[in-house]
Amino acid sequence: MKVFDYVRPASVAEAIAAAAAPGAVYLAGGTNLLDLMKGETLRPDRLVDVTRLPGLDRIEWLGDGGVRIGALVRNAALAHDAAFATAYPAVAEALLSGASAQLRNAATVGGNLLQRTRCAYFHDPASACNKRQPGAGCDARGGENRLHAVLGWSEACIATHPSDFCVPLAALDAVVEIEGPAGRREVALEALHRLPGDTPERGTALAPGELIVALRLPGEAAGFAAHARYLKVRERTSYAFAVVSAAAALRLEGGRIRAARLALGGVAARPWRARAAEESLVGVEAGEAAFRRAAEAALAEARPSGDNAFKIELARRLVRRALALAVAGTPARIPALPASPFPSVAGARHDA
Amino acid sequence: MTLRLRLNGRPVQAQADPAMRLSDLLRDVLGLTGTKIGCNAGDCGACTVLLDGRQVCACLVPAARAEGCDIRTVEGLAEGGALNALQAAFLRHGAAQCGICTPGMLMAATDLLARLPTPTEAQVQDALGGVLCRCTGYRKIIDAVLDVAGPSPPVAGAMGARLPKVDGPAKLTGAERFGADALPDEAFLTIRAIRSPHAHARFTLGDFAPLLAAHPGLLRVLTAADLPGARVFGIYPTGKDQPVLADGLVRHRGEPVCALLGDAATLAGIPEGDVPVAWEPLPEVTFAAGGPDLHAHAPGNVLCRGLVARGDPATGFAAAAARADIATATGFVEHAYIEPEAGYARRVGDGMEVVACTQTPYMDRDEIALILGIPPERVRVIPTAVGGGFGGKLDLSIQPLACVAAWLTLRPVRMVYGRGESMAASTKRHPARIAAAAAADAGGRLTAFTFHGDFDTGAYASWGPTVANRVPVHAMGPYAVPHVRCTTAALHTNGPPAGAFRGFGVPQAAIAGEALMDMLAAQLGLDPWDIRRINALGEGSTTATGQMLGAGAALPECLDAIRPRWQALRQEASDFNRQAGVLRRGAGLACMWYGIGNTSMSNPSEMVIGIGADGRCTLFSGAVDIGQGSNTIMVQIAAEALGVPPEALNLVSGDTKTTRDAGKTSASRQSFVSGNAARLAGAALRAEILRRANAGPEAMIMLHDGRISVVSGDAATILDPAAMAPDAEGLVLRGEGRFDPPTTALDAHGQGIPYACYAFAAQAALVEVDTALGTVRVLRIVAAHDVGRAVNPTLVEGQIHGGIAQGLGLALMEEYLPGRTDNLHDYLIPTIGDVPEIETILVERPDPLGPYGAKGVGEPALVATAPAILNAIADAIGARLTRVPATPDRVLAALAR
Ligand SMILES: Cc1cc2nc3c(=O)[nH]c(=O)nc-3n(C[C@H](O)[C@H](O)[C@H](O)COP(=O)(O)OP(=O)(O)OC[C@H]3O[C@@H](n4cnc5c(N)ncnc54)[C@H](O)[C@@H]3O)c2cc1C
Ligand code: SF4
Ligand code: FES
Ligand code: FES
Repeated sequence: MKVFDYVRPASVAEAIAAAAAPGAVYLAGGTNLLDLMKGETLRPDRLVDVTRLPGLDRIEWLGDGGVRIGALVRNAALAHDAAFATAYPAVAEALLSGASAQLRNAATVGGNLLQRTRCAYFHDPASACNKRQPGAGCDARGGENRLHAVLGWSEACIATHPSDFCVPLAALDAVVEIEGPAGRREVALEALHRLPGDTPERGTALAPGELIVALRLPGEAAGFAAHARYLKVRERTSYAFAVVSAAAALRLEGGRIRAARLALGGVAARPWRARAAEESLVGVEAGEAAFRRAAEAALAEARPSGDNAFKIELARRLVRRALALAVAGTPARIPALPASPFPSVAGARHDA
Repeated sequence: MTLRLRLNGRPVQAQADPAMRLSDLLRDVLGLTGTKIGCNAGDCGACTVLLDGRQVCACLVPAARAEGCDIRTVEGLAEGGALNALQAAFLRHGAAQCGICTPGMLMAATDLLARLPTPTEAQVQDALGGVLCRCTGYRKIIDAVLDVAGPSPPVAGAMGARLPKVDGPAKLTGAERFGADALPDEAFLTIRAIRSPHAHARFTLGDFAPLLAAHPGLLRVLTAADLPGARVFGIYPTGKDQPVLADGLVRHRGEPVCALLGDAATLAGIPEGDVPVAWEPLPEVTFAAGGPDLHAHAPGNVLCRGLVARGDPATGFAAAAARADIATATGFVEHAYIEPEAGYARRVGDGMEVVACTQTPYMDRDEIALILGIPPERVRVIPTAVGGGFGGKLDLSIQPLACVAAWLTLRPVRMVYGRGESMAASTKRHPARIAAAAAADAGGRLTAFTFHGDFDTGAYASWGPTVANRVPVHAMGPYAVPHVRCTTAALHTNGPPAGAFRGFGVPQAAIAGEALMDMLAAQLGLDPWDIRRINALGEGSTTATGQMLGAGAALPECLDAIRPRWQALRQEASDFNRQAGVLRRGAGLACMWYGIGNTSMSNPSEMVIGIGADGRCTLFSGAVDIGQGSNTIMVQIAAEALGVPPEALNLVSGDTKTTRDAGKTSASRQSFVSGNAARLAGAALRAEILRRANAGPEAMIMLHDGRISVVSGDAATILDPAAMAPDAEGLVLRGEGRFDPPTTALDAHGQGIPYACYAFAAQAALVEVDTALGTVRVLRIVAAHDVGRAVNPTLVEGQIHGGIAQGLGLALMEEYLPGRTDNLHDYLIPTIGDVPEIETILVERPDPLGPYGAKGVGEPALVATAPAILNAIADAIGARLTRVPATPDRVLAALAR
């Protein structure tokens, strides 16, 4: 590890000033950052520790029934907040399906949004990677790419964004509050992560030195609480990143879908909001035929980026399953295996 | 910066770099090594501590975060010097095997129990889900947490007792010293290998002067030119082909090309890219496509071949009513022990002392001697506790470079592998490509079996010959077949060296063989159980090598024991499948057999037990306990033979200076081979004591207050060790035992007696497959194992659980891809949620040659699991997977066919 400078600012303004230096990065829970620094993937000159900034670790309820979550709220604290899990159950389910209890206790909301891709070539200094080193090439293209992107990828990069949390957030129109050298601004979560295009090195819409201070979910999104699920296909029961995941949220009226939200995870460099699929669902009768159409629409643009064609059909099927389970209703308690597509898993509790 | 925090209830202050990992702060700065490092990436949870009461991975917590916080580690659990209730429950249930995951498990459970004193099983799984264990299969850990308030029943007797592990308490308090916990007393250097990023390449080393100048803490760079003795090493005397440091040519990714020697911080700060190595990549020789010869001594890249042939398969196939053919493939599998290789070496006069984790101290000693060019007597190997081995710590790891560096610099040299390095540099399970066929008559009796397996042995020989020789003997499975032809080839590629891994190729072969049994049964309309029972090897059966089996062969008994469970699982699956839906259940059965000890080779073990002038009785055992419990087993057997309770014995274990060669901890041989040596040693000491007391064989021996009482009827004789003359080793009375299993060489057709003893098992699995998504969940496993005699049922069950978990991993999720899965989140091993309820049935029919009838169980536990699961998947979906692991893409592809 490189010798670097560590600062612990006392206010947001100080933090932003400290992060203006070249080579500076924010340190939150550190669960992603420390790992990247070990692997030589990232060699910051300065760590700006934001964990002790005042006021960023609160969950505040807003007038419209929405919620504002400070960037430093821990993943576990948010998932286990009873009011939050009741209003946004799919978000809680996504959080609990990610990583492990230890990591959720340490990881922050802001850090989760900004975690880097898990593409093995990105983490291997001996491989060519455009994201790590612009122009170097992409060894994943001809390499081991079973789990890489099927949507929104480019010749330059086929990596996916690994966050579970972001998937229902994208579906539910979450907004990210940002402060930076140029002041305060907001971006839709959906626009926070960039598709690679020709510049895969730029993974997010954040300008250098910008700090995420909070995340907002609109009150309207809580209207889906009765029919919202997050489902995640992974290759072992727990503690594994998604092969494909889906967040589905519906408002139903007498068997008809009044409103629908759908997003996919593990398929692209950002959580993939499937708007065309949502539109196809509005006003129609909830049922297999509608889900099938929605699944087709959601994956219409998908194409394999390598040895991963199976993910396209898998994603379609997962969309159908997620919609069906959403219609069946949000479980009273999050199941023992959060986000497991196995409905017959003994439904023990996951105390919110 | 100066950090202030509370550590285990006490305020402490430390100087630390704020971005230092909390785990390093605890271990390196504060000296608390109970917190373990398995990955430094959040993947394994071995480093779990409580931060303000909540479990976190200390390896991903920056030290600065701990400031002002309350930190609790495993060292803070014991109360007033005694194990706390949770630790006691772990000990009682055998929840710690190697113990490397145990501190993390205990801390995660402590967090849970503080919030939920009486959790459900699902809550335990959820709370402990972030800590990986490669040994236990998690079931006993769950039992221990659920039973935290339970009583500790008294344990009586030696043989057959559920004696808590003799080395258990140290593993529960954090006191146990593993490879990375042992430090030399004097100041030491660290060595870091620079490894090839290419599978096959020529290279030239550049000028190191600028690197040395830029880093004053970098003392020296070792290259192949610096090696004092042998430049290559290897398991077989004839197959030494693996370079200590490559010399201009690398044959696998991860091969070391030079090594940096200096202080740890300096070495960690040198980017790989700054080390001047110029690469010229060469075309890769692959298992799929082959390529030019990698070694002059292995034309066609064939390292060796194996053969067992009996009868005439053509006749058998001609006479058959049913024939089944299959082609299967498996990939590299990583041992994934949670403890990466670590240790240190120091020069002592003209000798070398090596303190490191290993499964085979005596082989290490001889090999290190060759590398240093000194006689073996001048090398002393002191094994540390081993945080899991499974065959992967039979090959040298850190020893060659640490020893060479210590030899040249006269300074102690420490080497600790990171997770990525451990995965890149260590051996793997051989990938296999198998084509097999079997035939049976209308009654289900096997008439013929043919098998060819190519095994990818990677760049160097390692244990390749062992696999090539063991597989043909076992490939037809534990069945009587009149006409057999089994051939194998171990092929070199530019893959990582494939070595020893629990089962030596037999698990790969069993996947094919057990599929064939089900396919034949289906053709003949037989139940999978029936076809196995009809053909099961038992007492009096003749094997394909022409060996007549004795009274110890108990597969029929295993099958009979499992039958009611098997029928219930089948029923459960078919009941479930009556409902419509995408979920399908299936039941699968598989049998296995496994020869204990080396194949047709002498593999003796020697044990010494003695009494000192102080009256203390000590067992000197060279058998290395890698978590499986051989320390405890040896004490139990020796105590039984001597006729004293196990508590009466002290144990000195595995040090090439103080113990005799017990052979390696592999081939499931320690209970059987070393167990016999311990029994003979105990019996010899008993005979000596009785002789001195002039007592008959029925006399009772008691050790107390430094004396030996020998009671026979009403007469009691007291022997006073203090009055006897000690020998050179300080013993006044001693017993020695040596055992070498009686085997014969195999002839040109593979006929002979390859093993003196075989273990058998039958396992049944119930699975649920999501036919839309391709995911598989194992719901239950029943395992009936012929163990001869369970020396310690808790430990035997623990071995079976752990083997099943590894078999489940092989079936469902594990495949190592060099350079792509060098961590524990891309390389998936089963977590606590993946291992289902396991019922173990111990079939105890004493083996005439085993110590009190016991045989080995370490490898047998794993062999049947993957085939049982794959057979269950086939039963569920009506399609057979022939390539593992059965990941969703492969299950979906099988369904689409
Ligand atoms: C073993 C393992 C398994 C995992 N499994 C999953 C999984 O299954 N699903 C899943 O979704 N995630 C998973 N994760 C990822 C985990 O969720 C992230 O590591 C975590 O959320 C990051 O949060 P942090 O606070 O620790 O971030 P840090 O590591 O501190 O920071 C991450 C990045 O975000 C930047 N950053 C942090 N906070 C801010 C801010 N407020 N403003 C601007 N920049 C900021 C940092 O500079 C850094 O670049 C896993 C992680 C590990 C180690
Ligand atoms: S997919 Fe993207 S992250 Fe992965 S190697 Fe290619 S450029 Fe790098
Ligand atoms: S060492 Fe921290 S999780 Fe593995
Ligand atoms: S006992 Fe868990 S890893 Fe060995």
